[in-house]
Amino acid sequence: MAPTKVLVTGGTGFLGSEIVHALVEANEFDITALDINPPSLGTATYSSVTYVRCDVLDLDRLREVFKETCPTVVLHTVAVNLLGESRYGMQGRDAVFSINVDGTKNVVQVSQECGVKAFVYTSSVTVLLDQLEENFRNADETWSTGRATTLYGQSKVSHSIISSYEHASKATMAEGVVLSSNTPGFRTCALRAAPIFGPRDPVTIPTIHGCIANGETPFILGSGTNLQDYVYVSNVADAHVLALHNLLGLGTAAGEAFFITNGEPITVRDLCLAVWKEFGHYPRFQLRIPEELAWWMGWGLEWACWLTNRTGTFSRGVVLDATRARYVSIAKARRVLGYIPRVSLPEALRISCQHLQQQINAQAKA
Amino acid sequence: MPGVKDIAYYAVHPTQLRSIIQWKVWHNPVHERDESKESASLKRCFHFLAQTSRSFVAVILELHPDILVSVAIFYLVLRGLDTIEDDMTIPLAKKEPILRDFHNIIEQDGWTFTENGPNEKDRQLCVEFNVVIEEYKKLKPAHQAIIKDITKRMGNGMADYVKNAEFGINDNGVNTVKDYEKYCHYVAGLVGEGCTRLFVEEGKANPALLKRTELHESMGQFLQQVNIIRDIKEDFDDKRRFWPKEIWSKHVDKFEDLFKPENKDKALACSSEMILTTLRRADDCLFYLAGIKEQSVFNFCAIPQSMAIATLDVCFQNHDIFKRNVKITKGDACQLMLESTQNLQLVCDVFKRYTRKIHKKNNPHDPNFLQISIACGKTEQFIESIFPSQKPPVDEKKNPVNAEEVARLKNEADETKWETIYMVSAVIGTILLISGIMFTAAWFAGARFDIALSQAKEQLGQLFGSSGPINASVPLDTKPSTDHSEL
Repeated sequence: MAPTKVLVTGGTGFLGSEIVHALVEANEFDITALDINPPSLGTATYSSVTYVRCDVLDLDRLREVFKETCPTVVLHTVAVNLLGESRYGMQGRDAVFSINVDGTKNVVQVSQECGVKAFVYTSSVTVLLDQLEENFRNADETWSTGRATTLYGQSKVSHSIISSYEHASKATMAEGVVLSSNTPGFRTCALRAAPIFGPRDPVTIPTIHGCIANGETPFILGSGTNLQDYVYVSNVADAHVLALHNLLGLGTAAGEAFFITNGEPITVRDLCLAVWKEFGHYPRFQLRIPEELAWWMGWGLEWACWLTNRTGTFSRGVVLDATRARYVSIAKARRVLGYIPRVSLPEALRISCQHLQQQINAQAKA
Repeated sequence: MPGVKDIAYYAVHPTQLRSIIQWKVWHNPVHERDESKESASLKRCFHFLAQTSRSFVAVILELHPDILVSVAIFYLVLRGLDTIEDDMTIPLAKKEPILRDFHNIIEQDGWTFTENGPNEKDRQLCVEFNVVIEEYKKLKPAHQAIIKDITKRMGNGMADYVKNAEFGINDNGVNTVKDYEKYCHYVAGLVGEGCTRLFVEEGKANPALLKRTELHESMGQFLQQVNIIRDIKEDFDDKRRFWPKEIWSKHVDKFEDLFKPENKDKALACSSEMILTTLRRADDCLFYLAGIKEQSVFNFCAIPQSMAIATLDVCFQNHDIFKRNVKITKGDACQLMLESTQNLQLVCDVFKRYTRKIHKKNNPHDPNFLQISIACGKTEQFIESIFPSQKPPVDEKKNPVNAEEVARLKNEADETKWETIYMVSAVIGTILLISGIMFTAAWFAGARFDIALSQAKEQLGQLFGSSGPINASVPLDTKPSTDHSEL
């Protein structure tokens, strides 16, 4: 039997390359990695994998690639990539969003044209959770998404919050495009990943590590009891491979969305403390800043940054992010996909932090 | 009588006193045993129960009559077994066969045991064990079979443990975490199984609890492990060690080093790891409690569990456990009993509260800092899964089930809107009517509205006009006089 042809969009990215790795390990696929960028330095590339350079916004080029490779399965990871994008920044977001929505539409369209059987879309928990003022405790997939858009017009909220709503609504749109195109011949599903971290993770771990140099580690925002979800990159990759098998086999995942997290909700404070601990840093004292005070401080700093035309690290968005409960249930993924987070949080943090330390050491030498 | 110390304590801790008073005044037993119908031997059994178990007697005595005697006899049988196992004055050659054969002994009429050392505190129970046997034989055959089976397995497990200790296989007590859990299984996990079988037999618990064996195992393990953690100092003084070597050897070289003041941090880290092992079973215990159908059985199961999580909290990051026996306060105990004798939601609240207390004391320097944090998070997520603190937001447009509700709300809103419109128009209408009548009356009386209007205009112009007061003042001088002369 010929190996199943799998095409991974964003295949050289942070998550994409991990998925390619998982597929190579499975040793039963003919893999094509499609990306706008060539594999970056220091990442593993495989001789058995075909690397193709292509922009998902370039429909003609995309069609050409798909006609050539004729994939059976498409794993579309491009949309989740918020590489180098600060969660609260405004610059470049519109461009990124159009890639997410229009890019997804393009990939779905050419996949349908080329007779792809299964389509897995990397969505994000933000489709539900990016309603920043709200708490989400143990939410599941039955919670309806898309309320972010209705609030968008009503609230006189800051730019950062508006941009987050936009993000949420656009992510929801992209997910909707994928799930609504599910048919028996073209099975689709969406994996809503929690914030992903891992080695070469550009955001989560480096941001937390950055607090040490900034002297921000003693400050606790809010009560410090709110739990949040994270997920290690290889666990998300596992979920993609499981979803792929399900769609090609039983098909119980077709047309469905799944939350994918490490299943270990933890308080933001403890995640930070654990990361700092990996770098041998312990805050010398602790100072609790009440949520309301922090909110006004964020408001003030946003204005200060706006006036001085700088980008700040602290805003009301950060405060809301740090003080809200945001965790979900992965029971559905466990039940339907057989998903098990293989790498636990402590091990995942150790690996990721060691990698960052090596990067820092290498930079110091150079 | 309360001492001066107590009075001083409660003066500054009024909430504790309040809990005690509330418990003493308001708690009514779910069921009360009827002493008049009891035989002399059963009365003697309850006497021993009160003597041997201070913590369990209250909850046992309130149990439903269907299982009250069975649970009490079950407890006394196991207590007898335990008394023989614990007694270091009995040689192994004598002890082992008794332990292994105890399930048959409980069927021998008139069997007693008088060879316990004089210092054994429950010695008298064995001396008069014939009363327990007498009552055991009156139990339902199904109950007898459950008690016999558990006694057999526990007796053999204890015999193995005693033998290993004697021959130096476990010369330093328990070695691995597996051994530790095995020991707890024999002394507590099996009790959990026996009780569950009795409850299910009498329809007091969901039969599914028998299939999910890990749940009743966790119930027993949780209680036993908490006792082992709390009693570290007492056991050490009695030359017994139940903390597994696998755990303490990560922190100190010799077990006795845990008690040296200079090893405070290491000892705390070691106790944290023990507490973590126990904490991971908290969600199983809550899940088990969800399967109990009868209030007295629920109280019987829930009270010890609540006490256990609270004890875990006082032991966590507390170096005193290596110096003396730490306990939860009497006020806290009463508060916990109040909360554990109602429903599962309140017990979940207790677990959540104490989990958060433990979480708050978690120290980043602790080697198991992250693991403890995750265990706390998991317990909280589990509680959230059975008692969600928030509902999924309802999306009216997307939810067809609520279409009628939406239509009804819309109608209501429409009605209110029209009511408001009628009300406002009625008020305006009345005002217009009255003003109209007044104006007409004034007109009949010869009022000159044209002059009044132009005058008003000018006055307004004077107030706001850009042309200045002088121009405006010219007509102002003439008009009023005409106005007045006309009138």
